[in-house]
Amino acid sequence: MMQANEPLPRLSVLHIFKVYYPDLFGGTLSVIRDICAELKETFSAAILVCSRSDGDGEIVVDDVKVERVHSFGDVLSLPAAPSYPLRLWRRIAEHDLLALHAPFPLADLVFALGFGRNRPLVVHWHADIVSHARLRRWVEPLIRGTLRRAQAIIVSDHVLIDKTPLLQEFADKCCVVPFGVDVDKYAEPLRHRAEVSHDRGRLVLACGRLVPYKGFDVLIRAAVNRDIEVWIVGEGRERARLEELCRELCVEDRVRLLGAVPDGELAKLMCMADVFVLPSVTNAETFGLVQLEAMAAARPIINTRLDTAVPHVARHGIEALTVPPGDHARLGKAIDILLADPERRKRMGEAARRRAIIKYSTYVFRSGIEMAYRQAIAAKTAPRPASSPPAASAGLPGAIRIAAALAWSDMRHRYVRSILGPFWMSIQMAIMVGVLGSVIGHLSNEGTAARLPMLALSLTAWTFLSNVVLDATTALQNSASLIKDRALPPITFLLQCLIRQGLFALHNACVPLLLWLVLTPMDVEGAVAALPGLALFIVCTLGLSIVLGAIATRFRDLKPIIESTLTLAFLSSPIIWTPEMINHGASITRFNPLTHLFAVWRDPLATGEVATTSLVYVLVCVAVLALGSIVTALHLRKAAFWI
Amino acid sequence: MASISLSNVCLDYPLYGAYDFSLKRRLLGRLIRQPSGTQTIRAVDDVSIAAKAGDRIGLTGPNGSGKSTLLRLIAGVYPPTSGRVTIAGSIMPLLGLNAGANLDFVAADNIGLLLRISGRKPTPAIVDEIWAFTELEERMRHLPLRMFSSGMLMRVLFATATAFPADILLLDEWLSVVDENFSAKAEQRLLKLVQLAAIVIIASHDQGLLRRTCTRIVNLDHGRVVTMTGVGAEPEPAPQPRLQEMRA
Repeated sequence: MMQANEPLPRLSVLHIFKVYYPDLFGGTLSVIRDICAELKETFSAAILVCSRSDGDGEIVVDDVKVERVHSFGDVLSLPAAPSYPLRLWRRIAEHDLLALHAPFPLADLVFALGFGRNRPLVVHWHADIVSHARLRRWVEPLIRGTLRRAQAIIVSDHVLIDKTPLLQEFADKCCVVPFGVDVDKYAEPLRHRAEVSHDRGRLVLACGRLVPYKGFDVLIRAAVNRDIEVWIVGEGRERARLEELCRELCVEDRVRLLGAVPDGELAKLMCMADVFVLPSVTNAETFGLVQLEAMAAARPIINTRLDTAVPHVARHGIEALTVPPGDHARLGKAIDILLADPERRKRMGEAARRRAIIKYSTYVFRSGIEMAYRQAIAAKTAPRPASSPPAASAGLPGAIRIAAALAWSDMRHRYVRSILGPFWMSIQMAIMVGVLGSVIGHLSNEGTAARLPMLALSLTAWTFLSNVVLDATTALQNSASLIKDRALPPITFLLQCLIRQGLFALHNACVPLLLWLVLTPMDVEGAVAALPGLALFIVCTLGLSIVLGAIATRFRDLKPIIESTLTLAFLSSPIIWTPEMINHGASITRFNPLTHLFAVWRDPLATGEVATTSLVYVLVCVAVLALGSIVTALHLRKAAFWI
Repeated sequence: MASISLSNVCLDYPLYGAYDFSLKRRLLGRLIRQPSGTQTIRAVDDVSIAAKAGDRIGLTGPNGSGKSTLLRLIAGVYPPTSGRVTIAGSIMPLLGLNAGANLDFVAADNIGLLLRISGRKPTPAIVDEIWAFTELEERMRHLPLRMFSSGMLMRVLFATATAFPADILLLDEWLSVVDENFSAKAEQRLLKLVQLAAIVIIASHDQGLLRRTCTRIVNLDHGRVVTMTGVGAEPEPAPQPRLQEMRA
């Protein structure tokens, strides 16, 4: 009975964004801060952001753990933090819920790679990417992928769903949770103001980061030839330009850039102002959180007619006057109208405070967010219907999985009617190594025994390569029914060849392994050094099998040509003989790519080093084959016509 | 949510003769400037079909009218030559049952392999369930498929292929399972599968079957949609307006 009364453990949320206090101040950050503070009873929050400060690591801001990843600066408004994706990936597993504050393409990249697939994800849609329209085309697929994967998308106003094409695609996931404002913090200053009432009737206040989309330059222009005082609260990279503008327009005595101001001070300033102006000029201003503060402080608002929530939060004629964005004449006129009419200011201010209390309370905000978070977690952890587990056959991972299953069954097939199975081939190989070894022993005067392991290994590798290529030429025709009737992608069967022959090669590899253990001194370092070269060898084999497999399916007369070419290549490449046995500079060995393909792993095994020419040669081969494979893969859908 | 949308889809099926598979001949043909265009046949001609969850579409038409090709096109086997195909949801094509079966393997292994091919993990419980459906003796489970009679083989393959429901079910002809005792059970299972799937497309000559199971019947001829009629509703006297609407 005791357990039942214990409080439930708090669920943990990871907030993902590009920047956080104390590096910057702004609307999005205050939303994150408010979410953390409002939900602290039910959710324990952690924040993962980038920071340019050297103090990489964890700090605590307002009782919330903030982990900061070092960033080298901003590129196209995005932090250049190469280690952020890795850190995010590591943190994902530690939390019950991920809250991504969009737009943040760096995090979209992590989700696109499939990390955190089994964690519930909620996207807070703060704004669309308005600047860098060119960049947008590239990141849009990433963002779409994230939205598809998300359980819920939280927006601050319904108009965002209607006006954002990307959100319309996922309208069923969107839930509207308007931001909240703490109206109580203005109760005291308001009473104070009512007592003092130093109403000069000409103070215009604006607040926000000094960035271009906030449109403070429009406000400064509106101050020209008007007997008003403009105070702008906020800091940012536009400061120098705005100061310059004030000097140019000779208004520096009436326009004051106050810089960043603590919250308590801002509340006082709000209550001192006669009119609050939100002059933003682009749709990057999605909500205008600061106008909500002004509404809570019972100030009349002047905002702009953007396609976002801005004119819906404070409505034209009721709580605000709405003017066209970027029009300083109309803005100035609206300021004149309000300053000239104290009665109207008072009426609009009271309406604004009422609307803030009713519609934008912190309670509505908290319960909306909490509901969305809880539903996201429930939706992700809800057991799927037992009769229908997810079919995992989509994409390349699915193709590889099926190819591996098919290859494994091919290998088991060899064991069906014989106990030795593929080891018959290994015995055959052992005999071949013995015979060839003794023949070569007669040709060259060096110790035969010392050569045998390398000869066996080379033969194993060659058998692998030639069998993969030969298999690939008929693989698609042999699997016609699976391709046409079960709609499996043709690439599956080319991969199947590689995996199957890889399994057989592992059987064969016991011959060189035994010889190596018996005949030569153990050299584990050389074996490890050979592994990267071996990987290149396998990649080349795969590329060759994809390209030749597809072409040989299209043109059936290619198979005999490939067969005879393989025989020729076997004889002309240093597989059973070594380059030292013949004239060392012979062009046939130098220009034969197979020489280098074998050299990249054989040389480290024998001498511990690899020639740079061989490495370059092989890397060029890999690049060419990779290109060929990509082109082939694009045409491989047509393979169904060829079989 | 499962949905299929084909808009103005055409498919030119290349007809490769024996010579068209020869690279040598092709190169030679180019050398002596012999025109070497591969012949194509328009197997699907300007077809527009939109299906949403709950739709059961029957494809009918004479042999060679493009029913199977259209199914394969939806399944993603053939790429469309022109037009747009948009599919949402997982597709289960039941076009041929014995694809992927290996007669040398014992029945249980084959069931496992076939499940893996359709992207599912064969747990013992699932394999048990499938085996129970076949109503075959327990000891046969460990015999190679080679020893099965054709009817028994069909039971195993059918039970495996239809073990899981899918969003979109594509059927080429109603899968007929020979055995008298079994066919009733198989039909029941298929009906259940059809019920569970969001969208079902069946190609068949059997008009009665299509009328019983489908909500819409598409009549194809030479790759073209001749008529598209709703079942249950009045057979539409003038199919043309409806067709236009579908194409829009």
